[in-house]
Amino acid sequence: MGYPEGYLSERPPWTTGAGIQDALARRAIAARRYLGVFLLDAGALAILWILVSYVYAWYVLGTTAYTLVPWWAFAVGVVEGAAAWGSFGLSLGQRLLGRDLGPVKGREASSGARVWYLLLWHVLVLPGVGFLFDPPLHERLTGLGLRPRGTQGVAPAPWYRTSAGLFVAALLAVTCAAAVGVTVSWTALVRLFRQAGETVDFWRALVSPDTSILLDAGRDMIITVFMAVLSTLFAVVVAVPLSFLAARNLMRGPLGRPVYTVLRGAMSIIRSIEPIIWAIIFLVWVTALRSAFAGILALWVHSIADLVKLYAERLEAIDQGPIEAITATGAGRLSVLRYAIIPQIVNPYISFTLYRWDINIRMATVVGLVGGGGIGQRLINYIWGVQYRQAGTVMILIVILVWAIDYLSARLRAKLA
Amino acid sequence: MANPYLVVEHLTKVYERGQVLALRDLSFAVEKGEFLVVIGLSGSGKSTLLRCINRLIEPTRGRIWLDGVDLTRLSQARMRRVRRRIGMIFQQFNLVDRSTAIGNVLTGRLGYLPGWRALLGWFPKEDREKALANLERVGLRDKAYVRVDQLSGGQRQRVGIARALMQEPEILLADEPVSALDPATSHSIMQYLEQMNRQDGATVIASLHFLSLARRYGTRIIALKDGQLVFDGLPTAIDNAKFKEIYGEDAEEVEVR
Ligand SMILES: Nc1ncnc2c1ncn2[C@@H]1O[C@H](COP(=O)(O)OP(=O)(O)O)[C@@H](O)[C@H]1O
Ligand SMILES: [Mg+2]
Repeated sequence: MGYPEGYLSERPPWTTGAGIQDALARRAIAARRYLGVFLLDAGALAILWILVSYVYAWYVLGTTAYTLVPWWAFAVGVVEGAAAWGSFGLSLGQRLLGRDLGPVKGREASSGARVWYLLLWHVLVLPGVGFLFDPPLHERLTGLGLRPRGTQGVAPAPWYRTSAGLFVAALLAVTCAAAVGVTVSWTALVRLFRQAGETVDFWRALVSPDTSILLDAGRDMIITVFMAVLSTLFAVVVAVPLSFLAARNLMRGPLGRPVYTVLRGAMSIIRSIEPIIWAIIFLVWVTALRSAFAGILALWVHSIADLVKLYAERLEAIDQGPIEAITATGAGRLSVLRYAIIPQIVNPYISFTLYRWDINIRMATVVGLVGGGGIGQRLINYIWGVQYRQAGTVMILIVILVWAIDYLSARLRAKLA
Repeated sequence: MANPYLVVEHLTKVYERGQVLALRDLSFAVEKGEFLVVIGLSGSGKSTLLRCINRLIEPTRGRIWLDGVDLTRLSQARMRRVRRRIGMIFQQFNLVDRSTAIGNVLTGRLGYLPGWRALLGWFPKEDREKALANLERVGLRDKAYVRVDQLSGGQRQRVGIARALMQEPEILLADEPVSALDPATSHSIMQYLEQMNRQDGATVIASLHFLSLARRYGTRIIALKDGQLVFDGLPTAIDNAKFKEIYGEDAEEVEVR
């Protein structure tokens, strides 16, 4: 027990561990800022260059080629292009990171300064030498630096008048040209219109339903709904606890951050593999030819990944106020969770779950197409068996089911909001 | 003379994000039973100061002594025990919107409840009775079972006060408790704070926007500017020159009646 023990002695900052750490951190932040812009610009230019070369080779030369120059020339060109772009215009990287190159302190951004900056870029910025100083050496020498955009009181130019805007427009145009070149051929287009008549039998069969299969189809539909329900329920059980570990605002510190990063990364990888692929994987895994079980596993895995993301993003958006208030009463961590966090997330979680259930109904039919059980499997069997009337009946049933579930889940979710 | 009740010594807070120096070497002492008002422009560090006192925000440097205990040195567990004696009310009320008034008020007792009972929401009967009594005290007995998102701003702040009352606090921290309210409601809220100060003997530290409110309710005023202490004295000691120093040359004093 004691009382003020006199003034804390203050040491000069560079003699303390914290001071040194601080200085290093500031230099790292500056270096990262420039590196981020450079990487984005170089990447953007590389993509545009490759696409332009591809389109030129495809339409003009009639071959497939990517850069039309040696790779070393390509690399040098991209690096130089990024440097010039960043020095003389609003580059894409600057635009995306909300910064532009301008006077650090009131001075004019003359073209001389910009040329000077481009020269220094090669000896100071690119090798990172300039960042040994704080503020960075090249900023001191040229008076130019990356500063937050729009801070000089000058209205930023509209996007179509900036080099970043022109770049995006060019990129879109070239991408369309390249995409058309890759996917569409003239003969296929002609066939699409000429041979429309040949599908008439198919369409006619589709609209003359075969009611004798209704009972069997109904049973398969129930299986499909059960597949969706089970996979969603089991996914919730796993996803709810995981979501807390995947929420950025709850996972701080040296232990929490890596867990967060790994988990979110894993979830987005799992999510990027479509349920139909998961179904094939599980069909091989559980070695069953026709199996609703494999379908459920497929939907389950994909739902977990999707729900963790939805839940965690909701957790990241919670109001910090109640957390603060409950903590201030002296409550423990679990109480804060129970009284400040959970009340804010219950309804959104239920709402997301219903939404995912709704998706799973549709996905369950798709998964059935590859043999994952349920109504989808019946549909694909009819189609392979050229039983178009029966296939048409099943399709109508699926439309009704999906529509009904969609409506139901929308109504329930509206209630929860 | 006895030692002061609360001593803030060389308190400094640096927000790593954005490298903001929010509090610079702040030192002052508060006697038991005082009604201390903190004034200053937005961004001058009032919220940061109040949150450092109960360590919702960790101070970067400096000490805070409460009743002879250095709060900055306490473990999280010990700090939680201390927080039970420190009530807090907020500008944005910070209630749990989906819960009822009494549900919110009861959370004031969470620090005293064993963990498992808290998780089950199993509050003792005395706590429930006390919650109703405190709602009665702030004139909201009839709203006890209404969800707080259906209450007006003034009513919500009164729920906040009832929640703080549940802690039977020795100190009450009030962060701009009336900034979101109209003048008439502001006075009624401030009168509840005054009552807690005079009748219950709680030491109050409140940040306020308006000097007129500060003069009317404070027994002492400190003023912050850019995180520095620029005034510490009696409400009557703030003259025109001092006012301009705190709020800037162009400021005009506005009365809240
Ligand atoms: N979480 C935070 N991160 C970074 N800076 C902050 C944070 N909270 C507050 N600040 C900054 O600290 C300073 C003081 O803020 P605050 O204590 O909220 O002032 P007041 O309550 O008097 O308006 C402001 O410049 C504010 O921008
Ligand atoms: Mg504030």
